[in-house]
Amino acid sequence: MITVNETPVRTARNFNINNVKLDELEIQEEIMPFNNFKINNNSVLSSENVSNSNLIYGLGDKLENQVKVNSNKKVKIVINKNYAEPIELEFELDENNSNLVENIEIIAEENKKADVIIKYKSNNIDNLYHNGIIRVFAKKDSCIDISVVNLLNENANNFISIENELEENAKINYCIVDFGGKNSITNYYSNLKGNCSENKINCIYLGKENQLFDLNYIGELHGEKTNINIEVQGALKDSAKKKFKGTIDFKRGSKKSKGNENEFCMLLSDTAKSLALPMLLCDEEDVEGNHSSAAGKVDNKQLFYIMSRGFDYKEAMKLIVKARFNKILESIKDAKLKNEIIYEIDNRLD
Amino acid sequence: MSKSNIEEINRNIYDIKNKDEYDFKIKKGLTPEIIKEISKQKNDPEWMKEFRLKALDVYNKLELPTWGPDLSELNMDDIATYVKPKTGLSNSWEDVPEDIKDTFDKLGIPEAEKTSLAGVGAQYDSEVVYHSMKEELIKQGVIYTDMETAVREYPDLVKEHFMKCVPVNDHKFVALHGAVWSGGSFVYVPKGVKVDIPLQSYFRLNSPESGQFEHTLIIVDEGASLHFIEGCSAPKYNKVNLHAGCVELYVKDNAYLRYSTIENWSKNMLNLNTKKAIVGKNAKMDWVSGSFGSKISMLYPMSILNGENSKTEFTGISFAGKGQNLDNGFKVVHNAPNTSSLVNAKSISKNGGTCTYRSLVRVNENAKNSKCSVSCESLMLDDISKSDTIPTSDIRTDEIEFSHEAKIGKISDKTIFYLMSRGISEEDAKAMIVRGFAYPISKELPVEYAVEMNNLINLELEGAIG
Repeated sequence: MITVNETPVRTARNFNINNVKLDELEIQEEIMPFNNFKINNNSVLSSENVSNSNLIYGLGDKLENQVKVNSNKKVKIVINKNYAEPIELEFELDENNSNLVENIEIIAEENKKADVIIKYKSNNIDNLYHNGIIRVFAKKDSCIDISVVNLLNENANNFISIENELEENAKINYCIVDFGGKNSITNYYSNLKGNCSENKINCIYLGKENQLFDLNYIGELHGEKTNINIEVQGALKDSAKKKFKGTIDFKRGSKKSKGNENEFCMLLSDTAKSLALPMLLCDEEDVEGNHSSAAGKVDNKQLFYIMSRGFDYKEAMKLIVKARFNKILESIKDAKLKNEIIYEIDNRLD
Repeated sequence: MSKSNIEEINRNIYDIKNKDEYDFKIKKGLTPEIIKEISKQKNDPEWMKEFRLKALDVYNKLELPTWGPDLSELNMDDIATYVKPKTGLSNSWEDVPEDIKDTFDKLGIPEAEKTSLAGVGAQYDSEVVYHSMKEELIKQGVIYTDMETAVREYPDLVKEHFMKCVPVNDHKFVALHGAVWSGGSFVYVPKGVKVDIPLQSYFRLNSPESGQFEHTLIIVDEGASLHFIEGCSAPKYNKVNLHAGCVELYVKDNAYLRYSTIENWSKNMLNLNTKKAIVGKNAKMDWVSGSFGSKISMLYPMSILNGENSKTEFTGISFAGKGQNLDNGFKVVHNAPNTSSLVNAKSISKNGGTCTYRSLVRVNENAKNSKCSVSCESLMLDDISKSDTIPTSDIRTDEIEFSHEAKIGKISDKTIFYLMSRGISEEDAKAMIVRGFAYPISKELPVEYAVEMNNLINLELEGAIG
């Protein structure tokens, strides 16, 4: 058994949310090569070494060390001009590429803009394993949109650690789509150290059967007039379970900063479970912090209305879920990716 | 806009120290021999002595919490867990020694008893020194007495309920309480009896380097109702004092209980108190909580909604100043259909103080059609203080409406500007805003405490803008 994804501040142990314990997981020391990687723009790849520095939080020593020591894919991207088209990275897991342990580093140079899509796909075989680190350095005045899309099957183990550092006036907008994995465990940390830096995180998750999602999002605001916005929308059917931990941490000196966090979990079955811990930590007086968290079932009136228009129950439910996710889906600029995600929602809610 | 430079609380009433005089003070530390000696001093029945020794075993096995404020300065070898005052229990203030009576006089207890209470209990160090209740309630069968008397005179009721709502293995300081408990109040309100005027127990810890471990057990039987007020304070000493009380509340079917607490312990006190209520069918449990004192406070009252259609409300405020770390909150478990809970928590941090709101909402599988709404707001009055919100929700059914919202911020410059443009001084504007912030809570407090809280806010802000 290993314990991963600790919250930055602990609360009572019997609340069962400080971390997640995985009984059957063994961290392998030998990882076979991974060959199913595609990128649509080779010019962004850098031959320099990918950063191997310690993560501030991460998922825990064992998973972090596995990436540092045994990664079977390393990708370093340097954005040194403005890109009109998205940079797409695609990892597809299958029988011959069943373990992916990757280390990705993205550096956005000063005043540069780009969209990056990182997609994880798989076929339906068992025992797939993914453990990755994504580090992003957004230099002064840069702006980067990143989509991290997990479309693995529901039997995989999926671990992702994301770490961002934002310099003055830098912006990072994330769209995280989290659908796959028997266990899908995400640690997200942003250091808004530069004044006026901004970080927006939109996340949708969709759980079915016995899937477990453990989402641990941490934003530290150090610079003045920084801004973080975390929006998480999810739906759980069957016996799926979600733990959402969101922390906005206003450090002393982060004057005039703002932090907002909103989490909603739609419960599509009576055996789904939703745990949430939306934290606001505040060492600075001159800030505004808000969070809200809610959970509940699909509104019967909405369901009745849609079904009265000739849709069956399942189709009506899909429409409601997609409507709920729509604000986040609309933030995805790439039409092809958006359609792929909508297709996956339909498929996984069948 | 200029900063508010907040002065420390004027605690002159609470800081009155009497000489450390007692009839008996147990030696410091925590051993089976000390527990046996406390049990002997208290004339415990055998079952209670055994209970205490088992609780000590549990205490030794449990760890300190791995979360919350740092408790490393607490050394039980420096704490005397039992201090018997130099007087017995009386039902007349005239029989209470002059210096002790004088302390309670200054705290306004006898006066409140005359004007607005149906009964009063007053504990000094480890024992209750005064207990009295109006004759008409006695005639209605209401029991309001100290816990020791209850153990002797109502053994069946006590055995059935004592530390059943809060079991000794709940956490380390509950186990400690089970081993060394002394004093506290026992209330039984018979079926259908409505106690219209509140009962109040006041707990005063005078002895330095000691602990207070009172046990409050309240049973509001079916269809009955009660408002119970608990007040507590202590003078300040240089070394830590410990308060690890335990409150067990049983609100039976169709009953109502309102439990108001004003905690104003001194700034050397570690307040590690445990409060829990079990709420029956169609019953309602309301908590009103004001937390102003203590060096460290870890206090999370809890309602377990076991009966269908049961309800609970929590209204609380914490006010942390220099050197204070108040880690407070509320826990609720929805354990039956159609239950509802409403939480409104506020905190104010100033002068380097830390306020944390920590909570749990758990909605079990059987709690269909339940509703829960949580709102917490934190106000920072300067840039050296700290305010954290750490709320957990655990939702295990889809037939639920759950929402939580929280805000952290400072006094709005725009609001101050607006009030000043109407001819109000900056000091008055800030005090008005803070009072307004606290008003939803203060209006729920007993009137004398609400007045005291407003005075406290005025005192702190008076002439302190610079």
